[in-house]
Amino acid sequence: MTNWNKNIYRSLIISSFLGIVLLILFGIGKTLSYLNTGADRSSMLHLALDKAQVYLPKVIWSDTINPGRPIEKQTLLDIEKDYLNAWYVRQVAYQTNLTSGIDDYYTISAQQNLIKNLEVNKQENISIKGTTTNHNLALDFYSADGQLAVLTDKNVKEYQQIYQKNQLLLETEIQSNYQVMLLLEDGFWRIRHLVKEKTQTSKEILQTDGFVKVIGTKIYVDNQEFQIKGINYYPQKTPWDMFGDDFNTHVISKDFDIIKTMGLNTIRIFLQYEDFGKASVKNEKLHKLEQVLDLAEAKDLKVIVTLFDFYGDYSVLDWTLTHRHAEQITTAFTNHRAILAWDVKNEPNLDFESRGKENVVAWLREMILQIKQYDSNHLVTIGWSDITSGGILKDEVDFVSFHYYQDIDIFEETYKELNSKINKPLVLQEFGVSSNREFWNPFGTSEKKQAAYHEQFQKIIQEQDIHYLSWTLYDFEEVPESVVGNLPWRKHKQKHFGFIDKAGKKKKAFEFTGN
Amino acid sequence: MSLERKHIIFWLPIFLVCCIGFTAVLKIPRQVSAVIETKQKVFEAGETISLNFKLNIPAKTQLFLHASFGSTVLESDTARYILPEFISNKKGIIYYMLLHNSKIILEDTIEVKTNTTSPVQLESYVGPPSIIAGGTDYTMQVVVPTDVYDNPLPDSTAMRFKHQFLDTKKEEDLYSKDMIGWVNIFSYEQSGRLLISSKVKEVASKEFSVEIFPSLPQDFQISSKRRHSYADGNQITKFITSTLKDDYGNIVSDGTLVEFKVKNKNGTILQTQGSTVNGQAIGKMLHPDHQDIWEITAFIPGIAKSNVIQLEYAAVLNDLKVKFSENNREIIVGPLLSFMEQLIPDGAIVTLKIENDKSVETKIKTSSDGIARFILKKDFYPSGEYTIKIKALGAQKEFSQIPLQ
Repeated sequence: MTNWNKNIYRSLIISSFLGIVLLILFGIGKTLSYLNTGADRSSMLHLALDKAQVYLPKVIWSDTINPGRPIEKQTLLDIEKDYLNAWYVRQVAYQTNLTSGIDDYYTISAQQNLIKNLEVNKQENISIKGTTTNHNLALDFYSADGQLAVLTDKNVKEYQQIYQKNQLLLETEIQSNYQVMLLLEDGFWRIRHLVKEKTQTSKEILQTDGFVKVIGTKIYVDNQEFQIKGINYYPQKTPWDMFGDDFNTHVISKDFDIIKTMGLNTIRIFLQYEDFGKASVKNEKLHKLEQVLDLAEAKDLKVIVTLFDFYGDYSVLDWTLTHRHAEQITTAFTNHRAILAWDVKNEPNLDFESRGKENVVAWLREMILQIKQYDSNHLVTIGWSDITSGGILKDEVDFVSFHYYQDIDIFEETYKELNSKINKPLVLQEFGVSSNREFWNPFGTSEKKQAAYHEQFQKIIQEQDIHYLSWTLYDFEEVPESVVGNLPWRKHKQKHFGFIDKAGKKKKAFEFTGN
Repeated sequence: MSLERKHIIFWLPIFLVCCIGFTAVLKIPRQVSAVIETKQKVFEAGETISLNFKLNIPAKTQLFLHASFGSTVLESDTARYILPEFISNKKGIIYYMLLHNSKIILEDTIEVKTNTTSPVQLESYVGPPSIIAGGTDYTMQVVVPTDVYDNPLPDSTAMRFKHQFLDTKKEEDLYSKDMIGWVNIFSYEQSGRLLISSKVKEVASKEFSVEIFPSLPQDFQISSKRRHSYADGNQITKFITSTLKDDYGNIVSDGTLVEFKVKNKNGTILQTQGSTVNGQAIGKMLHPDHQDIWEITAFIPGIAKSNVIQLEYAAVLNDLKVKFSENNREIIVGPLLSFMEQLIPDGAIVTLKIENDKSVETKIKTSSDGIARFILKKDFYPSGEYTIKIKALGAQKEFSQIPLQ
């Protein structure tokens, strides 16, 4: 027995000894690695900084010829990157009234100017959410030893929302010219001097004037008046994921034939912001979109392309990323004959509550400008989810789009009211009813009632000469949760808006699509 | 139609009362408007900037300011504003908006200029810090003058750039542009130290120095120096370059590395190197231990080369004395005698090759007191007949069928 005890004690002592040794080694290792942090060369020289792109305003170098010395391409990129980062940290600082990051992109003497300003803003509880959307750079000077550069930055478009005590005080859009001196310090091009040379407020509305245009309350395509008779389109198998892995031109082509036989001339499709690659749009997606547009052109269908589906940030600092998204898509198809209009965003007014109306509207206003800047051939609109929102940004859009899912009996009245207020074409961009009388909804609309609904709507449309696009071609088997949430009755409802059922059979409403 | 006076007396007061009443009613929604009282639109940095507005109705207003380094908002009940120093001290255009209830009632710009009366502060950047002589390479001096509030001075500010080199002293007057003034200073034909300074108004900069290094050396000559011409494997031969100079006669920088390549009779290449002191580099090499002819060239790789010189080394001995003893198991080579019949200095290499039909082996010994002693142990070399070849200082001897017991 004593032997047993002895062994137990022994093993306890040995294992606790090993445990202590392990702990000590672990502690020493941790201490050493802590002491080594920041000491390795790559971090001292800032060679491997986080390269995530967070600020992408449009930058154009107009001129890099300077009396000092020819500049290398790589240095030019470095200067551009650090200069934009300087703007970014400044925007973040003015938003949060914290100085983090400032010391990387401003020299010690230049930092003082920002720090003093931030202190006062913090005291007065002022917060400024800002971004710049355009920079036109010219290199004035680059020194022989490559350590000093002077730039001129013209027409810097700066958008700001000024909040005082968390209340929006003012929204401004200012265009300024700056002259900047930068020094290369510790691997960063830091701002040493910054002088604003000119400022003006900018209010611009660009006019769309290509093969599609709006004159008065009418839409013209190739100088012919165009009446939109259309439908919102997703392939039956891939709703809300038209450009995914199951993309099939064969299916889409057949669907376009069906749409043509319905006597329609327009479709509306949706591009998901993340799916398309956010700030750097994937080529593969652009190629798929091109195929769809080419097919539409071949079948003589016009397309309303809805951008930024499922996008929901709208924060001012995120603007430039979305601008690059829009730029890449719109410039790729500036000359495409199939496109009728870019719909900036589907039902953005639903985000008013959660994201703040002023944020959403400001984002939309700037986005319209951006799109028109890159593509003046096609129209721009916003797909408001209800008729009452139609007046928002009516001066900026080319035509006003709204969706109608309310009581059909008061439609005519509300439509007339909006029409009297707006001097632009109105497009009823979505309407329809779900034939969802089934287990989940025993009192829902039957297919017969759905047909009656469309029949009635078509009558009003004809009487009032309304541009329309109905929702939607197919009943769907699956509806992603991101569209209507995961409540089964809501999902179920969304599955039955189509003119053709899941089995591919034409529903009763198919007769009343506008033929 | 004529109005009777009593009618007028009756209606006129009513009419007037109505008029006053309506104006009072209309006055309430009247909008706040403002005019600026401050006429000055251009200020100097450091000056107190006060912007006074005259409102049609007293109201609380806010002033939004957008300056070079950022924006802020001021508040006032009297519409009189004094701009904070961080704005009024900085050069640039200041854009302001007067606000009432978030509505812009007036907007305009004012300008802050550099304070030209304050003492100038100079910031100079000189680079590269070293250049080479000859007048094609240059260094750049950039001067950034500012006022006391750290604002760059306006374009066309006069600046004086000075530099001194050996006996020359030069001055140049230039005008600033794009915040800076700059000048390129080209090297001279001589090497040496260039001193640079600048002056803006009455303020002088620090002294900066730029080293002008000699340019690339030209081809050069080499010579040799040795104690004697015997191949004793003991003395050292020195290879000495002429003074290395660049195209302009500047002696190359100390430490310029020169490589010496020696090709011997067999075509083997030996190499040594030396770095210059006062333009001369010395390479050293041990004498060969046998008769040989050397061809020597020196290089500064990729830049310059020397002439080729030839050296001959004479053999020190013709014959080897070899003594066998202890049943031929002890072999004594020597005494080895050098050119004056003196004992060869310790360390001369003697090789002994011992072979029979089964094995060949080479033993190497260095001489001591002129003698090298080999012992062939029985354990390694069993009894039998061996051929023994001995080689030292270029001489050799062969003994065949030497019996070992």
